[in-house]
Amino acid sequence: MKRYWLFFILALSVTGFAFADPISLKPYQTGDWKSIIKAANGGPLVINFWGVTCPSCVKEMPQWGLFIKNNPSAKVVFIQVDDVSIESIKKMLSKANLDKANNYYVAAPFDERLRYEIDPKWHGETPTTIVIDKNGKASRKTGLVDFQQLQKALIVKP
Amino acid sequence: MEVLSLPAQAQMQMDHSSMVSAKPGNACQGAGLECANAATPFFTQDGKLLLAWTASGVVAVAQSSDLGKTFSPAVKIAEHGKSLDAGADARPQIVADKQGNIFLAYAFFKDTSWNAQINTARSTDGAKTFTKPEPLVSDRSSQRFPSVLIKPDGDIFISWIDKRLVSAAKQGGQNRLGGSIAYSFSQDGGKSFQAERFANESSCECCRIGGSLDPKDNPVLAYRAIFPGGVRDQASQVILASGAGPIRKVADDNWKTDACPHHGPSIAVSNAGTYHVAWYTQGSKRSGVFYANSSNQGASYTKPSRVGSESANVSRPYLLALGQQVWLVWKEFDGVQSSVYLKESSDDGKTWATPKILSSTAGYSDHPLLLAQGNNVFLSWLTRHDGYQLINIGQKQ
Repeated sequence: MKRYWLFFILALSVTGFAFADPISLKPYQTGDWKSIIKAANGGPLVINFWGVTCPSCVKEMPQWGLFIKNNPSAKVVFIQVDDVSIESIKKMLSKANLDKANNYYVAAPFDERLRYEIDPKWHGETPTTIVIDKNGKASRKTGLVDFQQLQKALIVKP
Repeated sequence: MEVLSLPAQAQMQMDHSSMVSAKPGNACQGAGLECANAATPFFTQDGKLLLAWTASGVVAVAQSSDLGKTFSPAVKIAEHGKSLDAGADARPQIVADKQGNIFLAYAFFKDTSWNAQINTARSTDGAKTFTKPEPLVSDRSSQRFPSVLIKPDGDIFISWIDKRLVSAAKQGGQNRLGGSIAYSFSQDGGKSFQAERFANESSCECCRIGGSLDPKDNPVLAYRAIFPGGVRDQASQVILASGAGPIRKVADDNWKTDACPHHGPSIAVSNAGTYHVAWYTQGSKRSGVFYANSSNQGASYTKPSRVGSESANVSRPYLLALGQQVWLVWKEFDGVQSSVYLKESSDDGKTWATPKILSSTAGYSDHPLLLAQGNNVFLSWLTRHDGYQLINIGQKQ
């Protein structure tokens, strides 16, 4: 019995180590969009779709890192959409100081089927940022973000 | 070079009961056609179908003597794992000359900064074995999105997106995005290429290049250029032996963006020399998929006409011209199914018949592609759930 407990504690600590991975990167699948929106609890929410092979994204990610640092209460979700290794995604997030951000990666091909529930008219350009205001209204912006404007959009008026 | 050890032959047959069922959302792991993300067809002179595909980091080739119903065991050309360029607009290129000598090109990411390299490989024994893949050019920056055409005399034309100018500008402290359209010819079946040249120094870095031969067998390109002000609109350009012709704007869409659309255009040049171009844009002046043609080598184009309905999710247009006939296919997604639509013209693009659906699938699917064998026109469409489809969609009248 004692050995059993020892094993249990060991197993716990192993999972603990797994959770201690500095970068949490969750797989994004069909159906996840609704739960991501729901998790924001009605507050303004920003979702940034980026890819490690996209030069504009590479340029923008460190700015996102700075934005999160200066706006710690902002609800921002990052979804990496290129078919690349997990290590390369983590490397770029780490470089941009986005280790602790709310990070996802697309596990299956990022095709029209996956995009449909997000926005049926969207063709998957990267980077693309979707802002959902407190009334649930979504606006999609393709290309680099104007962070000053974004900050204004995220201020919750009482 | 090795033959893939998976039960490729059985799975590649068009018998749907033997297809491997990959559930939607689940990543398919194998290197066979059933897990491919992109497949490119080519008809050889003797009527065989060559198919090159990328699947799970592997580049492979197989051939079919019965119009895609069954395939020979697949030959693995290269394996790059997650470094293979499997982006939405990337696909391996394959062509063969009249003697059956095969030339293949693909791109992979060669370093951790996502610089790509184009590799080429050849086969002189009917796709049984291929040479070891070799880099197309020696340059430390990035080369991606190869687009290959073969002339009736066997000369090979290759164009691609080259980042050496952007990379040099960056090193010089300039903030520059995008890439350049580079090209080269080979007169020995792809063994060696002429020194590369630039057709346009400023292009989008992430969109496929469309190519077609004009009546004089000169390559004509269509691609997403970057015009002054960061406007990523379509351009067409003829490439002569003496050099690249003028850059012609296909339409003033005014899509000012720094984003990667992963959605390049398609071009087909008819026997009369008409340039037919179809493309995707999110410009301030129009948004969606459009078609236009030019009867003066691109100097001016007709007013763009919308492809598919405005309310639909329309993508991936592809064109083919034979004589006076033009075939235009594209993909539409209705929330459940992806369907390939066809629109035909029998008067060189002046008037078009009502669109019709050629095929539909509920799972992942590649871009629809068109190719001809003699007078027969085929749709080539790779689907995850319904297998590889080669459908005869028309004849030259």
